[in-house]
Amino acid sequence: MKNATRYLSASLLVLALFAASAFAAYDATAIMKKSHLSYYYAGNDGITEVNMTLTNKRGKERKREFTMLRLDLKEGGKQDYYTYFRKPSDVARLTFMVHKIPDGNDLRWIYIPSIDLVKPISADDKNSSFVGSDFTYEDVSGRHWTEDNHTFKGVSQLNGKPVFVIESVPKKPYKGFAKKISYIDTTNYLPLKEEYFNKRGKMIRLFTANKIETIDGIPTVMVRTMENLKKGSKTTVAFSKISYNVGLNKGIFTERYLKNPPRKYIK
Amino acid sequence: MIVLVLLLLAVTPTFAQSDLNISGFLQSLYGGRIDKNNPTNTEQTASETRLQLRLEHFGDRGEFFGRLDFYYDGADSSQYDWELREGYMKFRMGNNFDFKVGRQILTWGTGDLIFINDVFAKDYYSLFIGRDDQYLKAPQNALRMEYYNPLGAFSLVWTPRFEPNRLPRGERLSYFNPMADSGRGAIVGTAISPSYYFDPPVPEPKFKNSEIATRYQRRVGNFNTALYFYHGFYKNPFGFDPVKMTAVYPKLNLYGASLRGAVFSGVLWLEGGYYDSRQDTNGDNPFMPNSSVSGLIGFERQVASDLTVNAQWQLSYMLDYDTYKAQQQQTNPQGYIRDEVYHLLTSRITQKLNSETIILSGFVFYSPSDADVYALVSAEYKYTDEISLKVGSNIFDGKHQSTDFGQFAKNDNVYLKMTYGFQ
Repeated sequence: MKNATRYLSASLLVLALFAASAFAAYDATAIMKKSHLSYYYAGNDGITEVNMTLTNKRGKERKREFTMLRLDLKEGGKQDYYTYFRKPSDVARLTFMVHKIPDGNDLRWIYIPSIDLVKPISADDKNSSFVGSDFTYEDVSGRHWTEDNHTFKGVSQLNGKPVFVIESVPKKPYKGFAKKISYIDTTNYLPLKEEYFNKRGKMIRLFTANKIETIDGIPTVMVRTMENLKKGSKTTVAFSKISYNVGLNKGIFTERYLKNPPRKYIK
Repeated sequence: MIVLVLLLLAVTPTFAQSDLNISGFLQSLYGGRIDKNNPTNTEQTASETRLQLRLEHFGDRGEFFGRLDFYYDGADSSQYDWELREGYMKFRMGNNFDFKVGRQILTWGTGDLIFINDVFAKDYYSLFIGRDDQYLKAPQNALRMEYYNPLGAFSLVWTPRFEPNRLPRGERLSYFNPMADSGRGAIVGTAISPSYYFDPPVPEPKFKNSEIATRYQRRVGNFNTALYFYHGFYKNPFGFDPVKMTAVYPKLNLYGASLRGAVFSGVLWLEGGYYDSRQDTNGDNPFMPNSSVSGLIGFERQVASDLTVNAQWQLSYMLDYDTYKAQQQQTNPQGYIRDEVYHLLTSRITQKLNSETIILSGFVFYSPSDADVYALVSAEYKYTDEISLKVGSNIFDGKHQSTDFGQFAKNDNVYLKMTYGFQ
């Protein structure tokens, strides 16, 4: 009898350990961190051509074309972004730079070549639209995973792919969303779908990763869409000519290059 | 000079891998004044069709950019004209030197439509009739050299031939002439007399009359700090030549500093400058402006997702004020005598709507000391990526007819502008 009890408690302990490790694998915060890093911090740096199509609720389309350079200064931490606009014509040659500071206010600068004007822009509102699209500044450079509380909701299937379903709620009240449900690919940790809800529980925005390719060994979302369900508009972003780990230098993300685009990377 | 040319030849970039881009726009601008009894030749403040062509070419070590405007202007008499707005080459020498040589638009300093250390040519005439922002600056033929090292960035702009600000000339926009009305001063235009066509002589084309503008810039924490020095002339013809009976550009040295950075969830800027009027060092020359010290503070913040607001306060302190006041009382007792300290308050509000396809904008200058005001309002609709439509208005008012904005009180106008951009 004593032995039996001992065996039972031992096997319970083993079971508990298993359960714990299984639970650890499904730690929602760890998944969101990994997802954030694979989506926003791929490689040490990256260059891509971006084609944006903005469609309003009446189906009218507008295009934006730009080249984007990114440099990670710290994995999961500070990043620098550089954007060179090509289209439409009224913003052609304009450059835009962001020093992303995850635990503070980002620093943003714009350079308007037609009047040779360098101007810092107040960057208080990360939830404001990026170039009039349905993506916000935060969608472009990422909302840090530590700003939300994450709950693991289960493993599911999305278009035949197994996904983690994670619910995220901002730690501090945030006007961008009250709740977000993310569907994260269980193999490459890329977000395949994100549903944003307001505080009344109504879905306000919907993100979809439409096409994924492996570039330089790094799984990359090549086409993505953000739908604004409130406005009935959507924005599709297609990446092309992506290269990772090209050896971008911190010096590029300065006023000198804001005024003189690095033609080695931007033709 | 020869050394410089050789230097340029030595680094002439080879366009091995190259790209050529052509783009531009076609634009129509129509404006009419809403004041009666303006002594100008026309009621139309603008009636122009403009074709701008932009051409750019990149090589491995350098690049070329050209911007050429062709326009038809029918506000007064019909005329065709063209202007090379920009035409420069850019190249790098070593790792630390950047050069930009040719006809170019230049800007520095921190103010929003207030310029203390930015002594590059402005085109106020274009601003007043509703042309695009890019026309606020007039091009200069200049050589810009920038030297970068870990201690900061040093810029030097040499403009061999003085380039003045572009101001209303009396044909379409009237202005204040202190000699008119038997020396009492009046708002004049060419409708009163063709002699009121305002075109003061610029300093002679001598090397000693060239302009040198320098800046040393450095980041300190969150702030971009800068020191400035300029040797040249006032960009507005503030002086008077009693022999030739004409306005002139007085000699100027300018020493200044600025600071700008992100604080309090917005952007804050501070700038100051000492204007050394070299032809009136003691303030006793009644025909030349007194030296002055000017300061500016400004703050901008995004108050809602698509709403940005800023405010600025500029102070300008005239040196040797008592001498100025005594002279004014003696020569023109009825005329306006400005205060020792000039104040200017401004505010800009920009609201973007409908996914940034509608842009509403308002900018107001108000001087409590000069009691005058200038307001610019506009609404722009981007109908497609190519076509945009803009309507706007420029309103001036003032208690006195000789002040900066008060003199333009009869030039209030509304305008309509359509642009087709292509590339």
